[in-house]
Amino acid sequence: MNARRASLWVALLLALLGVSGALWRAQLRQQVRLTHGDSLWRVRYSVDFYAEKRGARLHLAGPLDSGRSRVFRQEMYHRGLTPARHLAGARNPREIDLVADREGALRVKAQFDIHVSPESSWRVWGAPAGVGAQTNADGAATALVSSSLAPLQARAAATNLVATLFRFCADEIAEGAEDDPGDVDTILAQKSAPPGGKARALVALCRAAHIPARIVAGFELEADDDARPIVWTEILQEKKWQPYDPERDYAGALPPSFVPVRRDATELAWGTAIREVKTGFSLEALPPPPGVLATGRRTVWEILDLSRLPLETHQVMALILLIPLGALVTAFFRTVVGLGTFGTFTPTLLALSFVYADWRTGLFVFAIVMVLGLASRSLIERLKLLVVPRLSVILTLVVLCLAFSISLLDYARLTPTPQAVLLPLVILTMTIERFFINMEEDGMRIAFQHFLLTLLVACCCYLVLRWNTVGHFLLAYPEIHLVTIAVLILIGRYTGYRLTELWRFRDLTVPPAHPAGPP
Amino acid sequence: MKRGWAWPGELRRAGVFGINRRNLDLVLPHNPRANFPSVDDKLQTKRLCEQRGISVPRTLAVIARQGDIQQFAALVTAHNEFVIKPASGCEGRGIIVIAGRRGAHWLSSSDEEWSLDDLRYHLSAILSGLYSLGGQDDHAIVEQRIVRHPIFADLAVGGTPDIRVILYRSVPVMAMVRLPTRQSRGRANLHQGAVATAIHLVTGETFGGVHLGRTIAAHPDTGAQLAGRRMPSWDTIIASATQLAEVLGLGYVGVDFVLDASGLPVVLEANARPGLAIQVAHGFGLAKRIELIEQHLNAGAATPRPTLLAQLAALG
Repeated sequence: MNARRASLWVALLLALLGVSGALWRAQLRQQVRLTHGDSLWRVRYSVDFYAEKRGARLHLAGPLDSGRSRVFRQEMYHRGLTPARHLAGARNPREIDLVADREGALRVKAQFDIHVSPESSWRVWGAPAGVGAQTNADGAATALVSSSLAPLQARAAATNLVATLFRFCADEIAEGAEDDPGDVDTILAQKSAPPGGKARALVALCRAAHIPARIVAGFELEADDDARPIVWTEILQEKKWQPYDPERDYAGALPPSFVPVRRDATELAWGTAIREVKTGFSLEALPPPPGVLATGRRTVWEILDLSRLPLETHQVMALILLIPLGALVTAFFRTVVGLGTFGTFTPTLLALSFVYADWRTGLFVFAIVMVLGLASRSLIERLKLLVVPRLSVILTLVVLCLAFSISLLDYARLTPTPQAVLLPLVILTMTIERFFINMEEDGMRIAFQHFLLTLLVACCCYLVLRWNTVGHFLLAYPEIHLVTIAVLILIGRYTGYRLTELWRFRDLTVPPAHPAGPP
Repeated sequence: MKRGWAWPGELRRAGVFGINRRNLDLVLPHNPRANFPSVDDKLQTKRLCEQRGISVPRTLAVIARQGDIQQFAALVTAHNEFVIKPASGCEGRGIIVIAGRRGAHWLSSSDEEWSLDDLRYHLSAILSGLYSLGGQDDHAIVEQRIVRHPIFADLAVGGTPDIRVILYRSVPVMAMVRLPTRQSRGRANLHQGAVATAIHLVTGETFGGVHLGRTIAAHPDTGAQLAGRRMPSWDTIIASATQLAEVLGLGYVGVDFVLDASGLPVVLEANARPGLAIQVAHGFGLAKRIELIEQHLNAGAATPRPTLLAQLAALG
C-alpha cells in the first residue's frame, strides 16, 4: 500500500531529523562562538528561605547585560514556586518573581551563563541606561554627611567634585572588617568601612552634593565556590551613568569582568512574607570551546534557541511546547484505546487550564460551571431561542459562574488563583451544548459516559502537561517535536483494533451457528 | 463463565474489521471526499434516486430559511403524519416522526406530544446546524411518513425498522434490518438500543441478532424470534442498492431502506461511513467477503452477479 509506505518513510525521516537536530544542538550548546580574549562564565544562585504562607513572594535579580558581557543561557529550578506573570515593560528584564505554592522551607536554584567579550560592545537591551527614576530617592543627607561634604567641596573648588569625592572614599576611608557597622554616618565618623561601605558613602556624598548617584550590586567574575556580590557606584555625569568603584579603585570604567546585577539596592534575593533567606553564589569559568572564532555579534540563528529567552517566559513556553504531547495523548486514546470524548481537543485544553490554575481549583470551577451551565441550559431550553444567541447566553452565564466561583473560593479562604479564569470558556460552552444534545439524543447514561471519558483523557493530558522537566527539555530541544509528529503519523496509520473493540466484538470469536444457506 | 474480551488474533481470524481499518482500508481509498456531499445532504441523495427511478419518501416541504418556519403550520395542515429531518444530519439525530394529532398537539411515533411552538423551535435548531455534520447551516426536510410493513408487526416497537445494505465497490457485502425497541424510543439506531438482525444476501431471510453489542435471538420487547423472516421485495432492494452505490461513486457505502405498508422498498439515505455493528448482527466479520469481492473484481472475471452474491452469502 502506497500511502502506508510513504507514511512510514515520512515518520522515519522526521524522527531522524528530530533526533539528529537535538543531538546537533546538544553539541552546539557546548560551544558558544568566541573571539580572542572572550571568556565564558557560569554564575550559580542557590537561595533557601522559609515561606510564611502560600503566596509569599521571592524576587531574584539575575545578571544584567552590559556592553561587554551578556547572558546567553539561563536555567532555573524552583520546585514549589510558580513564576508570577507580569506585563512586559518597565521591570528589570532579569528580575524573577516567584510565588510560593505552599508554606514551608523552599529552595530556588538558578544558573546563568555569561559571555564576556572585552572587544565587543553589545547593545544593551532592556536595562535602564539613561537617567533612572530613582536617582535621589534617599531624601535629605544627614548632618554628618553634610559636614563631611563641606571641606571636600572646598578642596574640589579648583578640580572636579566627583573626582575629589571618589578619591576621598577610595583613599581616606580605611578598609574595615566584614562585620563593622555599615551605616554611612559611622563610616564617615570612623573613616573605616566594611566591604561595600565605601560605595554607599560615595553615593551619600554625591547625593548630598546634588549629584545623582546610585548603588550597583554585581559580581566580579573569578572562580569562587562561595562568591559574595560586590557593590560599586554609578554617578550621573553628562547624562550618562559612569561607574566608580572606590573599594577596588576603578573610576569611569570597570573591567569587563564586572557584571552588574541590581541597581539601587544590594540584595539579590528579597521578597515578602519570607524569612531565613540564605543565599549562596558560585562563579565558575566554563571551558572555552576549542578553535571556535567568530564575531560574537547577535545572529538570526539565536531565534532558534528558545532557552535564550528571559527566564520568566520559560514556564509559559514550556507549557506551550507540551501541548503537542497532550494532543498525542488524545490521539492515542481516541484511535488506539477507542474512547469517545466531547470534541477532539477539549481534553487537552481542559488539562492546559488545570495546569495553569492548579488542578483542584480547576476541577472545582469546572464542576461548578458544568452544573450551573447545564441547569441554565435546560431552563433556557424553554425559551426556544435561536442557536447562536442561545450559545451566547450560556457563554455569558459560564463567565458569571466562573467569576462567582472564584469569589466563592476567596470567601472560603481557599486562595483562588486568578489563572483559573483561563479555563477555555468557549470550549466549556460547547461542551455544555454537546453534553445537552448527547443527553437528549442518547440518554443520560451515554452523555455521562462521554463526559467522564472526556475528564479521564483530560486527566491523562494533565499528567503529561505538568511534567515540567520535559517541558524545559523541549524548550532546549524543540526539534524533538518532529518525533512527536512521526509518532502521530504512525498512530494515523494504525489499522489494528481499538482496545474497546476487543470488548465490543467479543461475541464474534465463537463461530456462528451457520445461517440458512442459499435456497 | 465467558471471558469479557477477545484477543486481536481471534478477531482477525473471524475477519472482523475495526474502525481504524475501516477508515484506512475502506473509507479513505474508496470514498473520494468530493462524492461525500451526495450522501451527506439527503436532498441530493433523494434527487439522485428520483432521477434513476428509485423510490424515496415523498417530500412535503424543504425549509431553508428561518423566515420560512412561520409558514410551517400552513404546510402541514393537510398532513397528520410526517417526518422532519435535517438534510445533513448524522446518526439519526434531529429526526422527528409525527404519527398523529391529539387536540392542538402532534404526537410522535413514540407518543411524545409536540406543540406547534416545539416543532418551530426544532426546525430553527436544524436550520442553525445543530444536528448537521460540521455544524454548518442546514435545511430541514419535511417528508411523507412511511407506514411500516406488517411483517414487522411483532418485531418493531414504536417506530419503523430500516434495512441497511452495505456495498463494497458496488457489490452488496452484508445486509441487516434494524428494529426499534422501547429503549431506543422508536429509533432504529443501534447505539441507542435498537436491535439488528442479519439478512441473507440471496434469500432475504433474517438470521442472527444483536442488541447493545451482544448477540441475541429474540426481540427484547416482544419476545418474537428474529431469525427466519423473509424480507419482501428483496431483489428490488439489492438492485436499487447496487444502482445507487454506482451513482454515488462511493466504494464503501451503506444504503438504508424502509419497506412501506405495500412492501415497496423506499430509500431513506445513504451513509459513507457505515458502522461496524452489522458484523455483530451476522456473528462474523466483513473481511472474508471484502477479500472475495476484491479477488473477483481484480481478476476481471465476469462472474454473474447472482453467483457472486451466492458465493458471498455462503461465506461465514
